[in-house]
Amino acid sequence: MAQEPDFRRELIAIIPNLRAFAASLAGSFDRADDLVQETLVKAWDKQHTFQPGTNLKAWLFTILRNEFYTQMRKKGREVQDVDGIHAMQLAGHPEQQGHLDLQDFRKALDQLPDDQREALILIGASGFSYEEAAEICKCAVGTIKSRVSRARTRMSDLLGIEGDGEFGPDSISSQIIGVAPAA
Amino acid sequence: MEDRDNREGAQPQPQPDTASGGSTDLGSSSAIGKRLKAYYDDVASEPVPDRFLSLLDALDAAESASKTPRQG
Repeated sequence: MAQEPDFRRELIAIIPNLRAFAASLAGSFDRADDLVQETLVKAWDKQHTFQPGTNLKAWLFTILRNEFYTQMRKKGREVQDVDGIHAMQLAGHPEQQGHLDLQDFRKALDQLPDDQREALILIGASGFSYEEAAEICKCAVGTIKSRVSRARTRMSDLLGIEGDGEFGPDSISSQIIGVAPAA
Repeated sequence: MEDRDNREGAQPQPQPDTASGGSTDLGSSSAIGKRLKAYYDDVASEPVPDRFLSLLDALDAAESASKTPRQG
């Protein structure tokens, strides 16, 4: 009676997403899982403040994100200068195909400013709408849009992808132009 | 959510307005979008570690204990 068994079940269902988001923020699995743990404890403590029927996933992401930035402020930016190590730690499973691809992607992602990286992840991977992402990041929808846009441009540059995401005639022509190998 | 046999008639997925500056588009047909998903799903597809299940059990138990009215 004291609590909703549903709440626990729903938390568990969202944990994989929380871990992926945390990993993208924190840079290492250990730190990511510590963040998730803190998030679960906090969420449990204030579950009475969650309004059933609203977006639990967004609520949890907000808690996790707040926790991340609180920790960052406490610890300072020690994270920044170990990008290479993070990329190694997050490289995933060596036997898996596309391993190098992911590693490159992770390295590129690490070079984005935090606000752009989180916007990119929330919109492009976690499946949030711009409105939801804006609420999670406590900023305007337009701000999220411009962060995502800048992040995409930067990622395209870093990964050497030409004309990414421009659909329609423009993208076709730019792909044709981009096809010629530089060598 | 397979829409494959739905190739005629209404399109079930709303199309983002890519024509008017689709620079924020991260759909599956964008190269960045695809890699982003792959990167994210690499972590998100892992099973929930036991430590979190134990944690929730512990939180649950602690809460039940603290909220149980004293008998007698």
